[in-house]
Amino acid sequence: MRKRTLHRGLTLFWWATLAFLYLPLAVVVLFSFNEANSAASFTGISFRWYHQLMGNEEILSAFGNSLVLAITSSVIALGIGCLIGYGMYRHRHRRLGWLIVLIYLPIVLPDIVFGISEMAFFVQIHRLTGLLQPGLPTMVIAHVTFQIPFVALIVYSRFVGLDPTLFEAAKDLYATPAKRVMHFMLPTIKPALISAFFLSFTLSVDDFVISFFTAGPESATLPIYIWGAIKKGVSPEINAIATLMIGAVAIAAILSLLFSRRRPT
Amino acid sequence: MADTRTVPSARSRAMVREARHLLFTVAPGAVWIVIFLVLPGAYLMGVAFMTNGPYGLPEMPLSLESFRRLAGFGFLGWSPGNLYTLLRSLWQTLVATGLVVLVAYPIAYYITTCREKWRPIMLLLVVVPSWTNQVIRTFGWMNLLAPGTPLSGLAEGLGLIPPNMGLYPSSFAVTLGLVYNFLPFMVLPLYAAFEKLDTAQVEAARDLFASPVRAFWHAVFPQTLPGLLAGIVLVAIPAFGMYVIPELLGGGKGMMLGNLVATQFAGGANWPLGAAGAILMLIATFIGLFAMRRIGKRLGGGEEVVI
Repeated sequence: MRKRTLHRGLTLFWWATLAFLYLPLAVVVLFSFNEANSAASFTGISFRWYHQLMGNEEILSAFGNSLVLAITSSVIALGIGCLIGYGMYRHRHRRLGWLIVLIYLPIVLPDIVFGISEMAFFVQIHRLTGLLQPGLPTMVIAHVTFQIPFVALIVYSRFVGLDPTLFEAAKDLYATPAKRVMHFMLPTIKPALISAFFLSFTLSVDDFVISFFTAGPESATLPIYIWGAIKKGVSPEINAIATLMIGAVAIAAILSLLFSRRRPT
Repeated sequence: MADTRTVPSARSRAMVREARHLLFTVAPGAVWIVIFLVLPGAYLMGVAFMTNGPYGLPEMPLSLESFRRLAGFGFLGWSPGNLYTLLRSLWQTLVATGLVVLVAYPIAYYITTCREKWRPIMLLLVVVPSWTNQVIRTFGWMNLLAPGTPLSGLAEGLGLIPPNMGLYPSSFAVTLGLVYNFLPFMVLPLYAAFEKLDTAQVEAARDLFASPVRAFWHAVFPQTLPGLLAGIVLVAIPAFGMYVIPELLGGGKGMMLGNLVATQFAGGANWPLGAAGAILMLIATFIGLFAMRRIGKRLGGGEEVVI
């Protein structure tokens, strides 16, 4: 009896927490369809903010920057991180503690310290050599740096999960190193590579602080644009872009659910 | 004679090949992280010990001036502003982490009591909001807590806030934002701990006539402790360095250490002072990590859970 009361209480608490989690997002979506200019009252449904978005060059270029940044940095991080993941696996009998600490470093560092040290460093290098002017390239560098550990760890754990005799078998069949990579390594770690790429991509799109400090005047990403708009004084247009981004996340969530259900684990 | 020479040389050739393999796979990433993370970090540390130049840029000679300023000593004598910011960061982190634990613990437990096929969906529901950009989520709270909104009206009606103030900007809004932001980071490790829970221990405790409270305290809580510690690391450390939430929801009065650091750099006001603040943040981070590791180790088996 008492157990049932407890369970009922918890169910209630669960729904309250869900409401708490989705309330701010719901408000953003709701106000994106608001006819009025103010966030304080909802006067009627309209699509005017979405229309306004379409003609806004700045937003379109911010969207483009976000995509270019996420794709470029994820591809580079995938290459570098994949090599580290494999190296860590092949040589795991050695004492690689220093390496693991080094690779964990970007994860542990508070992002504000990360972003600011990158910015200070890039500015100094630029003053000394003229290279690395703040802009998309510096943002790509910063993003690759925080993506590498995640790729390395995903690839590493995939290799650890494999049967070690597979590696022997590939060698015993006289496959050349190039063939081993092409016909054995890449196909077996493909799932890990795909999930590492998507994780890197998401991390990049999701990041604000590090991008903010390494960006140049013309390389604002969507979150940076939204930040600027909020700081300048709230325009209902922000609700519309934010809603589109929430929509993208919702689609990703549904896809991930379908994807994980299909797998027989 | 020939034998004794060829055997070690073959072995040493293999060793060279292995070493080259290690170098080839690991070096690009290690070099990347050293150039683009360790060097900038070292540069930042150097900046903290330099003098503030005319444009806020660091200059020689070396000095401890920025640490003095951080402790509140300026040309106008001592003022507690920076210390308040530091204390507020610690306090906000403490309160937010505590509240997150209070919400996440029952939620994580509740998910494990539900049917197995629902659990992944429930976890996803908890995590999905955090996939949205932090700036957008915080903006949502700005919309909710601004003066004139129903929530603010309710708080006014209850006499919690003076009229026409709104719930934001305030340090309450910052706390709320932090709890909102970090809830999933606590639910996930706690859920993992609950899922592994050895229920035989709980049954044994009940069979020995332990009250529910005692059974929880002696049979359930210790088993979830590694998850709890992992969650605290995942919440408290980034919360302490948080920038976006206090900047948007706190206004001038809710500033935390991250905002202090950022203003010194973004405004071009005083790089050395900002760098000194960043060092303080790093020290706190590493003390926190180290302390959690120690606690985790003492309790046994925490090491693989705690970073």
